[in-house]
Amino acid sequence: MNKNQRFILKTLFSSLIRRRSRIAIALLGVAIGATVLLGMVTLCYDIPRQMGQEFRSYGANLLLMPANNQSTMPMTEVKKAVDLLPSDKVLGVTPFRYDSIRSNQQPYTIVGTQFDQVSKTSPYWKIEGELPKNPNEIMIGTDIAQFAKLSIGSTMPISGKSKENSRFDEELTITGIVKTGRAEDNFIFIDLNDLETLLEERNQAEVVEISIMATQDELQRYIQTIKEHSNTVEPHLIKWVTQSEASVLGKLSSLLYLVTLVVLILTMICVATTMMTVVMERRKEIGLKKAIGATNKSIAKEFLAEGLILGIIGGVIGVICGLIFAQVISANVFGRSIVVEFYLIPTTIVISAVVTIIACLIPVKRALEVEPALVLRGE
Amino acid sequence: MNMLEVNNVSKIYGSLHALSEVNLTVEEGKWLSIMGPSGSGKTTLMNIIGCMDKPSLGSVILDGQDITQLSLPQLTEIRRDKIGLIFQQFHLVSYLTALENVMVAQYYHSMVDEKEALLALERVGLAARAKHLPRQLSGGEQQRVCIARALINYPKLILADEPTGNLDESNEAMVMNLLHQLHAEGSTIIVVTHSPEVSKHAQTTVVLEHGKVASIINN
Amino acid sequence: MFRRMLLSVLVRQKKKLFLIALTVALGVSLATAMLNVMFDVGDKVNQELKAYGANLNIVPKGAALVNELYQLDDKQDAIQYIKQDDLVKIKMIFWAYNIVDFAPYLTTQVMVNGKPVTLVGTWFNKHLTIPTGDEVDTGMLAMKSWWSIEGNTMKDDNLQGVMVGEAIAKQLNLKLGDSIELTSSTQKITLTVNNIFHSGGVEDNELYVSLPVAQNLANKVGLVERVEVSALTTPENDLARKAAQDPNSLSRTEWDTWYCTAYISSIAYQLEELMPDVRVKAIMQVAESEGSILQKTQLLMLLLTILSLICSALAISNLVTANVIERSTEIGLLKALGATNTSVAMLILTEILIIALLGGIVGYFIGLGFAQIIGQTVFGSFVEPKMIIVPLVLIMVSLITLLGSMPALRIMMFLRPTDVLHGR
Repeated sequence: MNKNQRFILKTLFSSLIRRRSRIAIALLGVAIGATVLLGMVTLCYDIPRQMGQEFRSYGANLLLMPANNQSTMPMTEVKKAVDLLPSDKVLGVTPFRYDSIRSNQQPYTIVGTQFDQVSKTSPYWKIEGELPKNPNEIMIGTDIAQFAKLSIGSTMPISGKSKENSRFDEELTITGIVKTGRAEDNFIFIDLNDLETLLEERNQAEVVEISIMATQDELQRYIQTIKEHSNTVEPHLIKWVTQSEASVLGKLSSLLYLVTLVVLILTMICVATTMMTVVMERRKEIGLKKAIGATNKSIAKEFLAEGLILGIIGGVIGVICGLIFAQVISANVFGRSIVVEFYLIPTTIVISAVVTIIACLIPVKRALEVEPALVLRGE
Repeated sequence: MNMLEVNNVSKIYGSLHALSEVNLTVEEGKWLSIMGPSGSGKTTLMNIIGCMDKPSLGSVILDGQDITQLSLPQLTEIRRDKIGLIFQQFHLVSYLTALENVMVAQYYHSMVDEKEALLALERVGLAARAKHLPRQLSGGEQQRVCIARALINYPKLILADEPTGNLDESNEAMVMNLLHQLHAEGSTIIVVTHSPEVSKHAQTTVVLEHGKVASIINN
Repeated sequence: MFRRMLLSVLVRQKKKLFLIALTVALGVSLATAMLNVMFDVGDKVNQELKAYGANLNIVPKGAALVNELYQLDDKQDAIQYIKQDDLVKIKMIFWAYNIVDFAPYLTTQVMVNGKPVTLVGTWFNKHLTIPTGDEVDTGMLAMKSWWSIEGNTMKDDNLQGVMVGEAIAKQLNLKLGDSIELTSSTQKITLTVNNIFHSGGVEDNELYVSLPVAQNLANKVGLVERVEVSALTTPENDLARKAAQDPNSLSRTEWDTWYCTAYISSIAYQLEELMPDVRVKAIMQVAESEGSILQKTQLLMLLLTILSLICSALAISNLVTANVIERSTEIGLLKALGATNTSVAMLILTEILIIALLGGIVGYFIGLGFAQIIGQTVFGSFVEPKMIIVPLVLIMVSLITLLGSMPALRIMMFLRPTDVLHGR
């Protein structure tokens, strides 16, 4: 580095350090821009994903049923099929087993399931009381509770026939009442294990509900894979859930994209106007430098360097604030932490540097076009 | 040899004739002063001589070169190499120290040389204030920094626009003294002023009135 | 003199003030757009969520237990029905305008080629005249947005047509335009396959016909079995949950609030009030999820709006500060001429407020434009401009410009005229 380069670097830092209030304003402007840029774009990337997770509150989107008109399928086959799915995306897998029983001469359907999974695949179930934990505990649908005048804590005698054709009679305790507004309101729910004990048949399921974080296309692919690998289990898309999710989520994402676009354009212009005001102030300095023999190129280079430094520092501050911004929103709305695309960080810094430089150079160019005499004389 | 020849120069802004058919000749090593009341066109003339403005008509020959024929970058080059400018409002870069303000001129001219810049400041009596910012200097001191900046590149022509306009008497004397030293060393000096006191220092005084040369006085 | 100075600044400093006006306009347009979208996003997303179809199920009081699960033929006599004539009442409740759609269903078993098949009668897209004078189109097709349907749209007056589920069509080897012979316990009719549809659910094994056809076959003229209702609802809160348990537990004022809010439970309650002998059940899967997604979206938009408001506020105040700093010479001169801090501050504030208001007015309309663009592109509908936003934005602009001038004014207070004028 020769003396001239060292000198100009020194003056550059003098300009940054000795013009504190102006530089603070410029930096604040750039930082706001970068904050909004990184924050909004990160949200844009992440929110459809986060929202997708919210949409899982609609419950299962994939169904496994026995193939070839069988009434049940072995759980080992189900497990094989589930293993074909990406385990980190699967939120819950709930097997169901149905059987007919009688209680006080009335026919009922009893459903064996795994309660810890039900709350994952059907988070919308409104449950009064608690899920059964111990053997001989059941949960009943709200319509049964009303019809048979049963409440939490009371018992219900049931009788039925096992698969081995032996009769069973049990006295079951009601721990919870479930309300869904659908067929479940008329079911009796029991732990799958207990039902299997009663039925004397193990490891069979009639329906398996799966809630998995995936788009409709991904689901179609999973279905294809399972079909290729299994001939005892048949996967079905719950179109009602997936199609509606796709359409609503699509709208939400495009809403977010548009909002981001509008916010970004406006903020970038705001940043540019601030930079322009800060630079316009230095018309006289530009005029003087021209008068004492500076070429347009060398003056432009100085401002470019200054803009670059401001852009980078402001960009870095903005990146930090932007991550906080996105994090705050994600934590407040979804209660989850945001996933950051790391390449966005350098991109943000580059963009803020470019915007700053452009915003600097517009007024500089205008000042350079004017004869130095006019700049030095007039206000 | 003539340092400067101004031939039939006119400057017209719309319907306003700021200068009309001005003729001037300055020999190398001479001290000329351009005097006149406000609005007589002296600043316009100075801007044209200082390569910061172009005449509407006529030609200006500076150090053997017709500057009216030059492009803007070429004019910049002339300003850098041949002219030292001194302003009424000093025009120092506010965030640079006195020393750095002098070095800026070196930077745009060729290569910075801190020792030489310091010598220039010493010459105007400001070596002790080299590390001060313009706002920490008095008006006279600022003008002396401006002079140091003007002479740092050994210009053939020193152009001063009302150099004492913002200064008190003692500072005025100090500035005029510096100009005399430069003149003694062989620099050609042109001072634009409205003050007869200042113009008396020159060898020749050109009086402008309404954009025309009214009289030429040899002191 | 104050007015004259103000005017001359406004006229002569056009360029610099233009930048302020521009920034304020941009900030305000951002705020207006975001606020408009934010206030409207609930309604809009709510509309979109109707893609999930019905969120209320109306069933006859006595039918609760039986048919939905078992479809036991021997139990059929126990089923009660809803009178078809009562259906118009759905559109006569307090929240009638929130009822987006509804469709009645009557299910019966028929034999096709000796096999039992479920046949459902419904309204596809029925034109109804409500006693209040309103006219509505309602029916199943609008509610089943996820069905993919082959063939021309089924009409309610098409008594010869049938919509066939994909699975059963495959089983019976049916194609569009084929004839299909149905036998019920009393009659025998021939229908033409108008559509084949795929729903991804049990409906794929069913036949759908116009309601009168099913009523004839089932010998249940003028009766329907259940009604699906799709209603725009307000997300549940504690009050709604309390009411859903037992409306009688509410205090008088609570009850009024609840009754006059479009909670799913209050709509259900009002339907039960008006229609005799029915039970209205909220479909939790739709109602609950709808609420959670709506709330998330609204919260998201609210936070985004707040943060972008903060950003535009900072940007505006930043620019105002920059502008005042730039004009320190002029301010120093005014002070040197004997202006007090207050008078200079008044001058600058008035000037900036005028500019900000001008920019704000322009920005408001630009913002409305942005909101419309967003509304049209995303939801394909008009975003209702809310009047509340006008004073909101007005207050915001004034506050921001005033606050934004604060750092600048502080700098100005400490400005000594000599410093500025001597170029230090």
